[in-house]
Amino acid sequence: MYAKTVLIKDTDTTREDKTREAYTRLLDCLREDNLHDHVQVVRVSDIGIYEHGLVLKIYPDNITYANVQESGLKRIADSIRDSKVLEEFVFKPKARQLRLVLRNCGKINPESIDEYFASEGYLGLKKAISDLGQQKLIDEIKLSSIRGRGGAGYPTWLKWNFAREVKADQKFVICNADEGDPGAYMDRSILEGDPHSVIEGLSIAAFAIGASKGYFYVRAEYPLAVERINKAIKQAYDHGLLGKNILGSPFSLDLEIRLGAGAFVCGEETALISSIEGKRGTPHPRPPYPSVKGLWGKPTVINNVETLANIPQIVLKGGKWFSKIGTQTSKGTKVFAVTGKVKNSGLVEIAMGATLREIVMDICGGTLSGKPIKAVQTGGPSGGVIPQDLLDTPVDYENLQKLGSIMGSGGMIVMDEDDCMVDIPKFYLGFCVEESCGKCAPCRIGGFQMLNYLKKISEGKGEISDLPQLKRISQAMQKASLCGLGQTASNPVLSTLKYFEAEYKEHILNKHCPAGKCSHLITYNIIEEKCKRCGICFTNCPVNAIVGDKEKGYSVIQEKCIKCGRCFDVCKFKAILRK
Amino acid sequence: MAKLTPEGLDKISKAVIIEGDWIKVGMSSCGIAAGAEEVYDFFVEEAKKRNLKIEVKKCGCAGSCYAEPLVEVKVEGLPSVVYGRVNKDVAGKIIEKHIIAKMLVNDCIFDSVV
Ligand SMILES: Cc1cc2nc3c(=O)[nH]c(=O)nc-3n(C[C@H](O)[C@H](O)[C@H](O)COP(=O)(O)O)c2cc1C
Repeated sequence: MYAKTVLIKDTDTTREDKTREAYTRLLDCLREDNLHDHVQVVRVSDIGIYEHGLVLKIYPDNITYANVQESGLKRIADSIRDSKVLEEFVFKPKARQLRLVLRNCGKINPESIDEYFASEGYLGLKKAISDLGQQKLIDEIKLSSIRGRGGAGYPTWLKWNFAREVKADQKFVICNADEGDPGAYMDRSILEGDPHSVIEGLSIAAFAIGASKGYFYVRAEYPLAVERINKAIKQAYDHGLLGKNILGSPFSLDLEIRLGAGAFVCGEETALISSIEGKRGTPHPRPPYPSVKGLWGKPTVINNVETLANIPQIVLKGGKWFSKIGTQTSKGTKVFAVTGKVKNSGLVEIAMGATLREIVMDICGGTLSGKPIKAVQTGGPSGGVIPQDLLDTPVDYENLQKLGSIMGSGGMIVMDEDDCMVDIPKFYLGFCVEESCGKCAPCRIGGFQMLNYLKKISEGKGEISDLPQLKRISQAMQKASLCGLGQTASNPVLSTLKYFEAEYKEHILNKHCPAGKCSHLITYNIIEEKCKRCGICFTNCPVNAIVGDKEKGYSVIQEKCIKCGRCFDVCKFKAILRK
Repeated sequence: MAKLTPEGLDKISKAVIIEGDWIKVGMSSCGIAAGAEEVYDFFVEEAKKRNLKIEVKKCGCAGSCYAEPLVEVKVEGLPSVVYGRVNKDVAGKIIEKHIIAKMLVNDCIFDSVV
């Protein structure tokens, strides 16, 4: 067997991939040094570092070299022979993931409580019950300064403390796993990958406030998550970690799952409570807050999945440990679901304070198309877009809010120049209009009116007076809506207006969509000089809007064209002009 | 099953030791959607058919959804690595090369996965 392994990959995408040449060259060098039976070289698909030339990783030494020239390979082979490190090539990563919440995801079997035990499972709960007691437990959470990960960023300890101080014969805890933001799936992954950590977090919350009953509110679209939570709850009961007299203490807790039918507004805490009570899922005015008067009128703590998954580690390692991670106002890590035009879409967990650019460029490898980033959207339908030139902003609750967006639950959508900054807010607003429960007028009517203005603009019928009108309506919605849905629904519009007003004006004044997205404002035409008369556009047009034949050539009948872009996509000769 | 006491819990956390060689297949929604079930079944079958001393396990999503199905392989003496976009074809190579011949498979590793 080989004593050492070298992984190799050319990460420069601006020229031809040189991985194979470098691989052969390195093998030759190793042979010269008589190391070919000692070291194996492996070409890899992705080495986790981007645009840093030739990258090599050496195991078990755990050395990473980047920007290695072909001439450097001989020296690397020699250094392996001499067991030396070549400082000049050593790669110093700027951004790294820090996995606290996701520490077990992809590592342990989510259906095995034993594997959870082996990674400190339920030791946090034990410490809370046996060593800390309610007051010291809440003190630890206060010291950690953790804030809710469900969107609003409310201090977790404060919520717990309110609920603890209220005298009541019954109290409740609820895990909010409704996760309705388009593009966000952090909570699903945590529940599917490490369900016991959330159960443990919820049990600790219940112990802190003195609740004896808890609910998981999960959307029905997450059947696998539901199945795994169910299994995990049963295992916990079997081991006496749920039920009566947990770990031999007076503390008892029962957990149950409630399925949500997928209405976005049911993620809002008061609507969620109504839904569990079997009523129509619509929000109520607050105060009273749920921590005082919640489920069935009893003190209730509602926390998000990711918030709860943090709790066992905080209890076990101490609030002080946690408070050392992150920025001044935002402690710990945040999981983002990075999607859109990005190369490596997926979940990223970073310490608060990492910049958006580090997340998108260094960790996720930039855009898939190689085109420059235009903006990044955070916070889903309640958030906003952050333009390219502000990507060096360190991520935390306050910074994102200052930019007109929000941290939100963790959706992050990367957009390049093909995304239209009128179309994007139109999509989000359309979502909010559809999901508005209709109970309050500002949200129900305001959202609908704003959407009409955006439709008008994207169809080329916009007027310049529409822009101040959009701002006026959104102010009314922010001030007068009953719940967060209506209060924040205009954020995508306001933030695009703030950073991309010129693009709105281009739509209104010149009836032109620079991104080529708004179908009413674009036309497709065939460039005769480039057309090879292959007929592929003709056969692919779904509405027969392309006429002609191989002799005479082809043309587009504008009246028939539905602007679907099929011809543009299938033409191999770039002979279709989109304008 | 006996209910755990605080001492019992301490004991259990130390008693569960995971050792030996293993293959882990990411089996969350994203992995399953990309075909992880087929890959998992293939490993289980092959391990049985060839009488391999290797445990085939399920795990959740490691986060790198773009490269699903993800398969992590730990073989004594080799660095543990993650293979991405694994289909039956790649899975076959993992068995032949990585598990049996103790050599990592070219062009299939995603070392970006944490
Ligand atoms: C329209 C709307 C949808 C929401 N959806 C969710 C959700 O899906 N998951 C979630 O945890 N919080 C959601 N929230 C926030 C919750 O109301 C609540 O603040 C949160 O669950 C509290 O948990 P935390 O303190 O741990 O963040 C939503 C809020 C609004 C206004």
